[in-house]
Amino acid sequence: MKVFKKLTVTALTAVIAVTASFAGIAAAADSLKGKITVNGSTALLPLTLQAAKEFQKLHPKVKIAASGKGSVTGPQAVKKGIADIGACDWDASIDVPGFKAFDGQVANKVAVIPFATIVNKNVGVDNLSTEQLQGIYSGKITNWKEVGGSDASIVVVTRAFGSGTRVNYQAKALAGGDIVKKEKNYKETGSSGDMKTAVATTPNAIGYIDLVYVSGSDIKAVKFNGVAATTDNVINGSYKIWAYGYYMTKGQPTGATKEFIDYVQSKKFQNGSLKKLKFIPIAAMKG
Amino acid sequence: MGAPVQNLASRAQKGSLAEGGISAKRHNRHLFSNTMFRYYFLFSILALCLVLGLVIVFIGKTALLLFDNISPLDFFFSFNWSPEEEAFGAAAFIVNTLSLTALTLLIAVPVSVGMAVLCAEIAPKWLTSFIRPVLDLLVGIPSIVYGYLGLTVLLPFLRRVSGEGLGDGLLAAALVLALMVLPTICRISDDAIVAVPRKYRDAAYALGSTRLQVIMRVVLPAASRGIISAVILGMTRAVGETMAVVMVIGNTPQLAKSLFTPSSVLTSNIVMQISNVEFDSTWNYALHMMAFLLLLISFVLILIIRILGRKRRDAA
Repeated sequence: MKVFKKLTVTALTAVIAVTASFAGIAAAADSLKGKITVNGSTALLPLTLQAAKEFQKLHPKVKIAASGKGSVTGPQAVKKGIADIGACDWDASIDVPGFKAFDGQVANKVAVIPFATIVNKNVGVDNLSTEQLQGIYSGKITNWKEVGGSDASIVVVTRAFGSGTRVNYQAKALAGGDIVKKEKNYKETGSSGDMKTAVATTPNAIGYIDLVYVSGSDIKAVKFNGVAATTDNVINGSYKIWAYGYYMTKGQPTGATKEFIDYVQSKKFQNGSLKKLKFIPIAAMKG
Repeated sequence: MGAPVQNLASRAQKGSLAEGGISAKRHNRHLFSNTMFRYYFLFSILALCLVLGLVIVFIGKTALLLFDNISPLDFFFSFNWSPEEEAFGAAAFIVNTLSLTALTLLIAVPVSVGMAVLCAEIAPKWLTSFIRPVLDLLVGIPSIVYGYLGLTVLLPFLRRVSGEGLGDGLLAAALVLALMVLPTICRISDDAIVAVPRKYRDAAYALGSTRLQVIMRVVLPAASRGIISAVILGMTRAVGETMAVVMVIGNTPQLAKSLFTPSSVLTSNIVMQISNVEFDSTWNYALHMMAFLLLLISFVLILIIRILGRKRRDAA
């Protein structure tokens, strides 16, 4: 009887100890909890989703909801308090053409996004300079023969105003130059996918797109000021059309949001999943 | 003789009494379930009205904020839409929307009414039973698929035929839309034609009319109200259609001076810009006002259908 009692006590103690230690471990792993809402750029969405999946495996008590609409909705959602993180293709804490700065927001660099000028496969031009692109997009150059191609009208395809791709392309490739509208051969598309289809199916068309979208035989990326659009040329500094992708937050990020951004910026994620998604790690850039 | 009758009568009385007991119970039960269902339906209708009302109020309220910042004259009559330079003239979109709808109907109505006549009057039964399900299927295809086909198949074709560089514009959009509204107009006209009483045709044939005369002079006029409501239903679909139009119209905010001018209509302009515009800005209000306009246009069109329907009932 005594032995039995002793055994029971020992067993109970053991169970309690084990439970307590497990609970302790679990508590340590779960100390981070919360809900993070990410909204904004569709270009950064694949990156966010991948990072969220990995982050939630490490911290099961953190719930991350991510959606994409358009770059400017990111900082707007943060401003309105709908989202904790606003993914944006430009630094929304400073003024850019067409958009005023969002006061009190902090821009956290998370990736490098390269962009490319693309043309339909029938266009014989391989290289365009800043001046030539400015001429084409401002409507001064309307024929491919003026930039060394065959005698055919240029069909300009562009993204709608407010697109992050457009903001960055205008700033980097056109050096702030205008994109004219109200021309005969001028077309606006709503997304990167539409842009690719439009340029691929329209002879003599020119457009611009994220470098990761450039694939297939119907479109080709042209050189910019003599430099080919490749990730290597972005990293070594010779290809200039690229931009940082940002996570905008209201003030400095805190708690789970800060941990999540730290994770996205960590070497492990930057050199792993981010590279696999064909973005460029921020650490690779010197400037 | 008398006794059995009496017996029968009393038995009948008894039976009916017993039945009365059961049926009173059943009656109460039915009464209860009927009342419950009545409240349920009433609730559903009220919920629907509430949601609809909220949509109208919300869009309208946001839309009317626009006129705090710019004058209605500028919005409705100016052709200059450059929101980044604070110019919000929506006249080009309104005119384009109307001309696109007109062009669509110009293409779709003759074809679809012709098909309806074929189905209802001329075609053999096996052909009809093939065409009708196919048309019903066409309605189920998502509009973005029509748009994509327009972008990848129709536009290159139009470019080849016209020699234009781009091919986007009213004609491309109207052709895509015509294909989309064709089943709607055709099937409803079809029903209207089938509903024309047999005796009209018999009378006309008895007078020695040819088949063409019967169709043109008797059947079509008799079915005209039904056909008109079919056309208006098609029109509401054409006015509100967005995704298919966006892909083939070019999305340039300018008046469509030719069939191949890249331009923009109310729906396509809203969908292209709404996600890239700040929440509390004049630009956002202007887009809401354009949505409100579309709502009003559909409302008027539906009102016309209702009035036509009532007239037809009165005439019958």
